[in-house]
Amino acid sequence: MIQELDCRGLECPAPVLQVRNALENETPATLAVLVDNEAARQNVSRFLEHQNYRVSSELQGGGFRVVGTRTEGGKASEKSPSAPVTKKKESGTKKIMVLVTSVHMGHGDDGLGDMLMFNFLKTLKEMGPELWRVAFVNSGVSFTAAGSEAVPILQELADAGVQITACGACLAFFHILDTMQVGTVTNMLEIVTGMKEADSVITV
Amino acid sequence: MSKETIRLTQTVKGSGCAAKLSPGDLDRALCGLDLPVDPNLLVGLDRADDAGVYRVSDELALVQTLDFFPPMVDDPYSFGQIAAANALSDIYAMGGVPKTAMNIVAFPGKTMDISILRSVIEGGLDKMREAGVVLVGGHTVEDAELKYGLSVTGYIHPDRILTKKNLQTGDRLVLTKPLGTGIVATAIKAGLADQELTDRVTRAMATLNRVAALTMDDFDVHACTDITGFGFLGHLAEMVVDSGHGVRIVAADVPLYTEALEWAAMGLIPAGAYNNKNFRGSFVDFGADVSQKVQDVLFDPQTSGGLLIAVSAGEADRLVEALKAHGITCAAVVGEVVSEPVDRIFVV
Repeated sequence: MIQELDCRGLECPAPVLQVRNALENETPATLAVLVDNEAARQNVSRFLEHQNYRVSSELQGGGFRVVGTRTEGGKASEKSPSAPVTKKKESGTKKIMVLVTSVHMGHGDDGLGDMLMFNFLKTLKEMGPELWRVAFVNSGVSFTAAGSEAVPILQELADAGVQITACGACLAFFHILDTMQVGTVTNMLEIVTGMKEADSVITV
Repeated sequence: MSKETIRLTQTVKGSGCAAKLSPGDLDRALCGLDLPVDPNLLVGLDRADDAGVYRVSDELALVQTLDFFPPMVDDPYSFGQIAAANALSDIYAMGGVPKTAMNIVAFPGKTMDISILRSVIEGGLDKMREAGVVLVGGHTVEDAELKYGLSVTGYIHPDRILTKKNLQTGDRLVLTKPLGTGIVATAIKAGLADQELTDRVTRAMATLNRVAALTMDDFDVHACTDITGFGFLGHLAEMVVDSGHGVRIVAADVPLYTEALEWAAMGLIPAGAYNNKNFRGSFVDFGADVSQKVQDVLFDPQTSGGLLIAVSAGEADRLVEALKAHGITCAAVVGEVVSEPVDRIFVV
């Protein structure tokens, strides 16, 4: 039986959050969502597509029935060989998450910013075992891809048990999803929940 | 209940300018009304401009506007600041100087502690002080949901009114605040926005367009509006339709919150964005490289957004430099006015 979620009468963003909860509890092969307005239909469709579902929708009883069917290839982050599953952090340690949002560090001169950022990544290991995760977004994702001098540095961190993640949408945006060399692909939900899980988040 | 624990955004249905009545509905309500005629009414309802202008003498006109909405952030003081900055913005967009203001308040006195209302009004007063505006009164009604805003009156010279019209071929379009506040507000409501971004967007929304307006005063500006509930493309359409000109926008040059792109892809888009797209989408053509999520952000309803300024081509770069020098660091040329196709917006 197809799992059905009734989101009629709910205002944005509640329908999307309900669908998100449904996908978090289990990963249904097919999920049907009832909504009663066009904005909710489009938002739920977008969310399901974003979660690697194929989406169709039809008019039903003055509203819409949005049906998502899970496609293969989702959850790329779980398959990556470099996921540090064997080296868990010892419990009780503080977790620091570093969010790298650009190839430059700071504003002013970009050349200087490039040098500073490279130096920052090289020096990150000095944080020691409290460094839990480094997440790359926007142009920062290029550090994880072929051609970046930072790849061996990040690999060293990954080998030491630090989670290296890069935003999939950003990698796709810069057309370097295929050339990623270190770390795992992540999404905004994982970044956001990671921020919540971390004891401190450092954004550069 | 304490004001520290209540999340204002959880107490209302719509938030900020995203709570605006859809533009199509408003048009249907106003269309064909018998409006009073007065030779001193220089800019009235028929022009659908940012604020109304009434001539008092050859040297002086009053510029008047009103804006209020439900909260889009959880902190009462910040909400007050943002609502006031948003209301004052229409005066700046016309090239006027705000002078007096009155509070407009709807408050759920049975369910919300009165200290929250005090914080909201304190936030508003903070922005009025910054703007050099004096509060002369106000009106408060009991309502199911909190709403706050201002009715503002300012001065303007009758010969120096900046409207949405008067685009000239070759003009560059300059935007002074990043887009995406409606989507970010939706993410805040969903509990997905982190504190750093929430603070950054709150600061931007609470920033007066005063410095931007003072800065553009020194340049050859032909037209101006502020970006609020109808979104960037909705307000731009108001400039372009019946202008006899077209506009070419370079999406990659438009300042926006990058987080809003991801949330747009996730479907955290306020209903107002879809209304805006339905109402004004027919005036807009998108190039093949402009992704769906970028289109969504361009239609996203903004709360207390920036000024969109049409300036002569030769002065555009200097205007942007001057804006940046005055702390408006995201200011950018986002497009230009072209001779054709007329009355259309092309986004590449």
